[in-house]
Amino acid sequence: MAKLSPLDGRQLLLAVLRHEKTDQVPWVPFAGVHAGKLKGYSGREILTDGGKLFEALIMVNEVYQPDGQPVVFDLQVEAEILGCQLLWSETAPPSVASHPLAQDMTIPTHLPQPDDGRLPIILDVMRRMKQVVGEKTALFGLVTGPFTLASHLRGTDIFIDSVDHPDFLTDLLSYTTQVAFRIADYYLEAGMDVIAVVDPLVSQISPRHFKRFMSEPFSAIFDYLRTKDALSSFFVCGDATKNIEVMCQTSPDSIFIDENIDMVAAKQITDRYNITLGGNIPLTTRMLLGTQQDNMAYVIDLLDKLDHHNLVIAPGCDMPYDVPVENVIGVMRAVREPEQTRKILENYQSVESAIEVTLPNYTNLKRPLVEVFTIDSDTCAACSYMYSAAKRAAQELNGAIDVIEYKITQPENVARVKKLGITHLPCILINGELKFSSIIPSTRELLEEIDKVERG
Amino acid sequence: MEALLQAIYDGIIDGNKDQVTAKVQEALDNGLPPETILNQGMVAAMAEVGRLFEEGEYFVPEMLVAARAMQAGLALLKPKLVQADVKAAGKVVAGTVKGDLHDIGKNLVCMMLEGASFEIIDLGSDVSPERFVEAVQAYQADIVAMSALLTTTMPNMKVTIDALKAAGLRDKVKVMVGGAPVTPEFAREIGADGTAPDASQAVTLAKSLIGA
Repeated sequence: MAKLSPLDGRQLLLAVLRHEKTDQVPWVPFAGVHAGKLKGYSGREILTDGGKLFEALIMVNEVYQPDGQPVVFDLQVEAEILGCQLLWSETAPPSVASHPLAQDMTIPTHLPQPDDGRLPIILDVMRRMKQVVGEKTALFGLVTGPFTLASHLRGTDIFIDSVDHPDFLTDLLSYTTQVAFRIADYYLEAGMDVIAVVDPLVSQISPRHFKRFMSEPFSAIFDYLRTKDALSSFFVCGDATKNIEVMCQTSPDSIFIDENIDMVAAKQITDRYNITLGGNIPLTTRMLLGTQQDNMAYVIDLLDKLDHHNLVIAPGCDMPYDVPVENVIGVMRAVREPEQTRKILENYQSVESAIEVTLPNYTNLKRPLVEVFTIDSDTCAACSYMYSAAKRAAQELNGAIDVIEYKITQPENVARVKKLGITHLPCILINGELKFSSIIPSTRELLEEIDKVERG
Repeated sequence: MEALLQAIYDGIIDGNKDQVTAKVQEALDNGLPPETILNQGMVAAMAEVGRLFEEGEYFVPEMLVAARAMQAGLALLKPKLVQADVKAAGKVVAGTVKGDLHDIGKNLVCMMLEGASFEIIDLGSDVSPERFVEAVQAYQADIVAMSALLTTTMPNMKVTIDALKAAGLRDKVKVMVGGAPVTPEFAREIGADGTAPDASQAVTLAKSLIGA
């Protein structure tokens, strides 16, 4: 486990955000609603119940071993406090269903208080996360960007306002910037290391428009965070290719982008400004719908294409709820062990015909056979938990079952995985049947499955 | 006459609603055929707006003001087009799928299609499969255009396609889908007829689907 240095994760990420030279690239999984999946909670549950949110975030921390981790990924927190109604979903963050300024263009004056809306839950979970994992993991507090918050309040007329009511738009952005200051203050007091200003709407406007309306509010926020000795990040989702330069000019410490923007081209710009760039594993095509190998290959390709200085590997944005856990594990693995991952990927491509493996005769076993397929239980936390679960079950049964681990660092095991049609690791097969994939079973669950298999 | 059409064209590209309204009225008063005003002034301008958007010159605000100028002119033109019996390029039932409230992308597609002389029945956002089916039946639509921004609401595109099948309408209507997470593979997988990466290319797709 030495190379993983989980205790160094926070220092590593903070060093990279401070633009220091490091020998590793940090990894930040944006597990918002997806955190719930790891504990069997819905997205809505973890965004409204502090206990469940905390449990889920701890699980994210254990399974994905992040160097940095957001505590909540929900761009509707401030909007809800300011009077927008929300439409809740079980598997996605809520959406804004009403815009208080759609008709009435009076700029609000209320600034969020710590007991407003869901802030008490969020601040409490932030403090608990800081206490439990805050020494080893850098924690991100996500603030809704001033433009996106303004659009929540005003609705889509916000775009036309730039033409019809430019003064109103400027005033509204000035207000939402004050809200961002206030929320950032609370999150910093609760122990967050990095404040990320998340503004996906920035991808929908021109650089000219950005300079006219957005440069000032964003610069003000990043300047303010610097006076607080906090590190900052500018998250944008969508194709903001043309705005990367003007975003850099607002002086955040880092910028995070999604797959709509070419990382190589973006990094050429961010490097000129000495700003750290994070991204951009595709959320749908790779993380949600791709295989573990697809995700590993994407990361290796990124690492090969990009200068590792001032670089963070992360999903393009908030991961969809149903991203297979194995895919995230694959990404983590590729970031942490690129050389070994490269070999695994090569084996996947070449092993097809080269190695012949003989599978056990699953229908005629003397005793239950628990096969644990892992990337490598020595270096992958989720893999080691999966293998330990099987060993615990064997202990419980006084050795009345056979347990074997196959690490896909070995080419013959890749051949075995392919022959069995396994696509995600780690997983457990009992007598040749896939029983657990990625989510680690409790000893009881595993014993029950073994019992079922035995009874036929 | 050329100068009037040019002024309408320029007015739309600049998003100058007042100029477009005045010049469309002037063109009508001068006896210019409504179809000429539509095609040579407005449709041509919206095609240029689409091109500028595709090239990253125009963004959402520029598109919206251009579309608003176009719609202002179209409001004057519509009664004359009906009188002259000018047919729309096709009828499109559009909406953001059930569970999804994001409508910027859908609105842009509707505006661009309208600018390409399609007739739009905009069902809004959070549209159930049943409402899509009802609208296709009621308006005898040529195309259903569905939008989704969330990976979690994307599956409702397939549910809607299945509902169209169950209602015996799937063979009578083309289905186009779009939105940030939608890929061509996904569109194929759910049995849609096509997808486009932006509002401008959605027009090209719609035209190709109905052979316009």
